[in-house]
Amino acid sequence: MSDISRRDFLKGLAVGGTVGYFAMAGVSSTVMRNSFIPPAKIGTADIGECKSLKIKVITETSWFNNAILMDDMKKAGGLLVNQYEIPWTNKGVTEGWKGDNAGGYATLVEVEFLDGSTKNILLDTGWNVDWTDTCFKREGIDKMLANGEIDCLFVSHEHFDHFWGIEATLKYRPDIPILVPKGFYQEGFDLLKGAKFPKCHLANNCPHTGPLEIKESGKVHQLYPGVASITFDVPIITRVFGEQALVFNLKDKGLAIVTGCCHMGIISLMEHVKQTIKGGDNFYAIQGGLHISPFEDWDPQYDDLVLALHNYGLKTMGCNHCTGYVTAEKFVTVGLPVVRGTAQHKSKRDIFLGNGDTIII
Amino acid sequence: MTHNNSLWVETRDLQPKLKQPLQGILNLLLVTALFLLVWWVFMDPRGIVRWYTPQYGYMYIRWILIAAIWQVYIFNYWPFKDSFLNNKHPLVKGLILIGCNIGIVAFMVWIFCYAFLGNLSIPYLNPKVLTNLGMTEFFAREYSSLAILMMAAIASWLSPVWPVCFENHPWQDLKQPARGFTVWAWTFFLTILAFLILMHPHYHVLFYPWQEYAAAYPWWYEFARTLSGNFNVGWVMCGTVSIWFLELVFDRYPIRLIKKQPLRGIIGFLFVFAMAWLFFFTFLFFQDVSWGPAVEGAKRLFAPDWRHLHCGELACMMLIPMMTLHFYFDNWPKKYSPSINIAIRCVIIFLATGILHYLYYKYSPPILGTQPGYSHPQQFPMAPVILWINMMLYHYWFMDMYPGKKLATRTEYLPASNIVTEKAY
Repeated sequence: MSDISRRDFLKGLAVGGTVGYFAMAGVSSTVMRNSFIPPAKIGTADIGECKSLKIKVITETSWFNNAILMDDMKKAGGLLVNQYEIPWTNKGVTEGWKGDNAGGYATLVEVEFLDGSTKNILLDTGWNVDWTDTCFKREGIDKMLANGEIDCLFVSHEHFDHFWGIEATLKYRPDIPILVPKGFYQEGFDLLKGAKFPKCHLANNCPHTGPLEIKESGKVHQLYPGVASITFDVPIITRVFGEQALVFNLKDKGLAIVTGCCHMGIISLMEHVKQTIKGGDNFYAIQGGLHISPFEDWDPQYDDLVLALHNYGLKTMGCNHCTGYVTAEKFVTVGLPVVRGTAQHKSKRDIFLGNGDTIII
Repeated sequence: MTHNNSLWVETRDLQPKLKQPLQGILNLLLVTALFLLVWWVFMDPRGIVRWYTPQYGYMYIRWILIAAIWQVYIFNYWPFKDSFLNNKHPLVKGLILIGCNIGIVAFMVWIFCYAFLGNLSIPYLNPKVLTNLGMTEFFAREYSSLAILMMAAIASWLSPVWPVCFENHPWQDLKQPARGFTVWAWTFFLTILAFLILMHPHYHVLFYPWQEYAAAYPWWYEFARTLSGNFNVGWVMCGTVSIWFLELVFDRYPIRLIKKQPLRGIIGFLFVFAMAWLFFFTFLFFQDVSWGPAVEGAKRLFAPDWRHLHCGELACMMLIPMMTLHFYFDNWPKKYSPSINIAIRCVIIFLATGILHYLYYKYSPPILGTQPGYSHPQQFPMAPVILWINMMLYHYWFMDMYPGKKLATRTEYLPASNIVTEKAY
């Protein structure tokens, strides 16, 4: 083996070091970034304006015992296991609904337009049919459905606690127009048609007979004047894929965003709205689940969100459900405008809007 | 054992039973099939054991890798003698060495982390301690698995540095097991130190209320734009891959040209460190170009912490073509000057990584039971990738590439530094 001179080695080191430096500093330098990374888009989609929103929380308690729910997932093999294959606990839960750990999420959104007319959107339809039906009756949703006063069921995503209580809606109005995000699995469509899934204790005895619309991702879907939906291609735990959210442009106020679970992330959602919807840099309110600490778990990434949310100028935050109590406490601590609830009808705390609470925006 | 400072694996002579590329392709297919089988049995969310919850199974995968590195690079197969390594049938030898590997993993996770450190020092290293403090069982296990796997990840970066860059200096003349235990103790001490600096602050903010009396505030927040330890996971993984680059692609060139220790070791370490940050910044830049800049507080594709993590994932994917080329295709090419050989290998590896990245995200949902999409908070491409690597290492280190190759009768051992003949440039 022949040796190399110190001079040659140092020369090689200098050349290598210089090339390495430019390779490293060069690709991440401001000049390179400005050349390759396109500037942020400014939203151009004009969705019109509406006057106000009245949002009624029908049920935000998706399950009653967090430890039991997590244990169900742990036994099944973790967070990536197909939700239709998990034998969810439905008996013997002391704080549950008639022993069942399943609750559900459902919200009624009433939109008032500039001419004074209104539309009602049912956002999600719970999990436990009996619990959801009880909540519907408590808030008069059953009669509204039966009377045709609710214009559509907007399913945010296919998760058990947002969609599996479909029978509670269809028993009163089987032909209700349903809007689902792209990404629904065949099991979800089968459930709408009346399928049974004994392993996860799921059934729908009232097949859907009305129109079903699958909302594509990557587009702004105008539903009514001042009302739009956006779908995100987002993979979610328990093998769910895709979620959609509602965007309202309130005259003289700004944008209000209403979510089911917001697995795409509220800041990611607002950034997308900024880049797609005209006036998308003027946020006024958010309402719904923000999916931050749904199981009262935590990740330092969530603190990033808590610390950054100030940058969006929100005037009111009606967050609940999968936002998590820990998150709500942190929001309040950093001074975000979280609207408090009344902790009734099995909502455990009043730190955010709970079952039966209403917010007017 | 062998010459004091040469590894048995470097001096063994493996003879192909078939011609290339058939031998390489068949052997690669075999090990890939084994990986898919092991994944389905132990990890796949549709499979039997379902340990990919995700952190729990991922933790074992990580520890298998570092345990194998220790067995081969630090302990040079001790306590097994040359007669065992040279004469045992590869399948028997493989089963015994894999059994030892699993035993080391079990000891490190269950005894060292859970029972020892978890009970006596840091609660998050033992899920039962966290559960007793009131945490749900599932997240207690996930949080502790993350911490324990990170210890292995840091070790898989720092442990090979000593044999590869420092040639075990200043303990190169010690015999096994003294040398193995000394280098292991030293590198593991460095690992624990690095863990306390790079990962422990992550746990300051992971629990509520913040653990400000027990751990430092994440010092990287200002420049990483995230409190998550994923920032460190990303560049540490780039470091792990860089040491493999130096070893497998560069054949330790040009570091091996330095004769004096510890100068060679120090420059080698800095070389690896610089390469790690080169990969890290380059992958961050690719992501910015592909998806736009990250946004503070955003989730998924736009989350700064996920972008950092994905740098590590991208780096890790380079290991597959790197090891494939080295183990199964004889580290082609070898006929040019070291610089040209390295350049050609790098081009092959970069192109193959791009193809692998595309194929992984397109086909992993039906094959591995993962979910479609790039960014998923409970999904780590590093888990299947490292398991695949583990299977390759089992095959290459423990089973003499059986059945594609066989171990030739050996007459003498050569020092590691003599394996590749040098030319002065």
